[in-house]
Amino acid sequence: MKTAGKTNSPEALQSLLKGQLFDIVPFGVAVIDRNMNIVTANHNFEEYFGKREKQHCYEVCKGLQEQCPQCNAKYTFEDGKPRVSDERGVDFHGRTCHYVVHVAPLFNDNGDVEYVVEMTTDMTETRIRQREYNLLFERVPCFVTIINRDFEIVRANEKFRNTFGDARGKHCYVAYKNRETTCPDCPAALTFKDGEERVATQTGVSQDGKETHYVVTTAPLGRSPGEVAHVIEISADISQVKELEKEMLDAERLAAVGQTVAGLAHTIKNLLMGLEGGMYMMDSGLQQVDPERIAEGWDVLQRNFDKTVALVKDFLSFSKGRLPVLKETDTNALVTSIVELYRDAAKKQDVELIHKKNKQKLTALLDPDGIEACLTNLVSNAIDAAMTREEGGARVTIRNYESENAVIFEVTDNGCGMDWEVKQKVFTTFFTTKASKGTGLGLLTTRKIVQEHGGSIEVDSEVGAGSTFRIRLPRERLELIAEEANKANSN
Amino acid sequence: MANPEKKTILIVDDEPDVLKYLTTYLEDNGFATISAVDGRDGFQKAKESLPDLITLDITMPEESGVRMFRNLQDDEKLRNIPVVIITGISSEFEHFIKTRKQVDPPTAYFEKPIDRSELLGKIKEILKMI
Repeated sequence: MKTAGKTNSPEALQSLLKGQLFDIVPFGVAVIDRNMNIVTANHNFEEYFGKREKQHCYEVCKGLQEQCPQCNAKYTFEDGKPRVSDERGVDFHGRTCHYVVHVAPLFNDNGDVEYVVEMTTDMTETRIRQREYNLLFERVPCFVTIINRDFEIVRANEKFRNTFGDARGKHCYVAYKNRETTCPDCPAALTFKDGEERVATQTGVSQDGKETHYVVTTAPLGRSPGEVAHVIEISADISQVKELEKEMLDAERLAAVGQTVAGLAHTIKNLLMGLEGGMYMMDSGLQQVDPERIAEGWDVLQRNFDKTVALVKDFLSFSKGRLPVLKETDTNALVTSIVELYRDAAKKQDVELIHKKNKQKLTALLDPDGIEACLTNLVSNAIDAAMTREEGGARVTIRNYESENAVIFEVTDNGCGMDWEVKQKVFTTFFTTKASKGTGLGLLTTRKIVQEHGGSIEVDSEVGAGSTFRIRLPRERLELIAEEANKANSN
Repeated sequence: MANPEKKTILIVDDEPDVLKYLTTYLEDNGFATISAVDGRDGFQKAKESLPDLITLDITMPEESGVRMFRNLQDDEKLRNIPVVIITGISSEFEHFIKTRKQVDPPTAYFEKPIDRSELLGKIKEILKMI
């Protein structure tokens, strides 16, 4: 036990250091003479290479029989200058190890180098980590680039090089997107600014000209807390997901066409049956000389002819298979215009029309004409439905809002509601509950337009309580369709 | 049932022109007819008048032909009345209804527009008139 008083003097401290420093430094120290024999070594060195005094250093550290071809100790003996080198050797357990050696001279009183001190730091773990890191950097199934504050790529990984080509030194906006200036919504710029991680969805162009979609995460790389010197961009390639999404959209559109054709066939069958009935009555009326029956038959023919004309007209407008023309549209204003249009008609039927606006202005990329047609349809249906309410207070409520990154339009009535069977049929056939008034195309057209927007329409209904039709337009899909339309236009 | 010698047919269809056609044609051929515009109406009239045969459309508002058909099957008194389906939806429906284990298939099936003499022949065959 040493007392505090003794260690207080500088001399005492010096003697303590002399006694213990050799063994407490966190690296191996060996002192060698001009014959490369180890004269002494510290505890760390012996633990690493084994207790091997009086042996040649090249035997101990590397298992060699003769001096290393590039011997730093030899040079230091010659010129008295310290040196550093990376070495590979064999440790006490016979395992290959990597270490850094600092070689420093120990001068005698004559100023000659009497001994050389070799200080070795183990790098084996670090080397393994580095290899792992390199493997990860190169082989991770993402595009990885490191950029500097000038947006120049200083390092890019294998997947990036395979997709976008060799890009070292190029600006990231050139390499990823073939742009001439920085991207307007650059997440890396924000990360440089505040050191925060960012995530963004981007579209680039691969070296073979293919569109490449990716979700990029930008993270700061910097040694000091102040300035972000580099940003690492890690991007997951979502091109395949986008491709699948597009295919799904196409499949949905095709399915809608199929259902429409099936529904059309059904309606035509009914019309044919009506026409046949009319003809039968005229025929048999003529044979029996029954003017009343002839007149009745004529009426039937007339009526079914008119229905056919109406159907063909509706069908033509339905089949105008144009891609929606998407524009930034104020959804509040769109709904307001429809409410204005129907307010008087609704009032005449004692139906109150209510618009619950989104609190803020809410714009969306959509085809205003198409969506207006849909809402017109739903509102006019809802007014018809609300009229069936037996007690007073018939009401139709229209809401527009945003939910889960989708634009929603909702039309609710407090009319008679629909049972399960009717609900199943509203979108699938040329179905009408309005007898001769409707052709059954209204909701079908609505659904078609909504599907062309990549959206969906659904209905909640309860017998006696009313129905809600809900149009849901996911913004991502709207963007996808806008892109498609742009491409179609530019071709 | 004004004329007890005549066989009575209940015709269920939501299209007034189809009703008119079938009623006229079947009456011209010696049947008494009753008409109904949907499944609910049809089931009610079947219970009241116990017809000899029912022709039934499938796609109707209010209550569909499928439900009416099931209700008929569930009713002791009505179960044995032959049902002829006359509908616009494709033959897939025939397959569908025939593969349901819990109900017997309808006696006959016709797709609109119908061949009326074929329909008449089938009805006479079912009612053992030929």
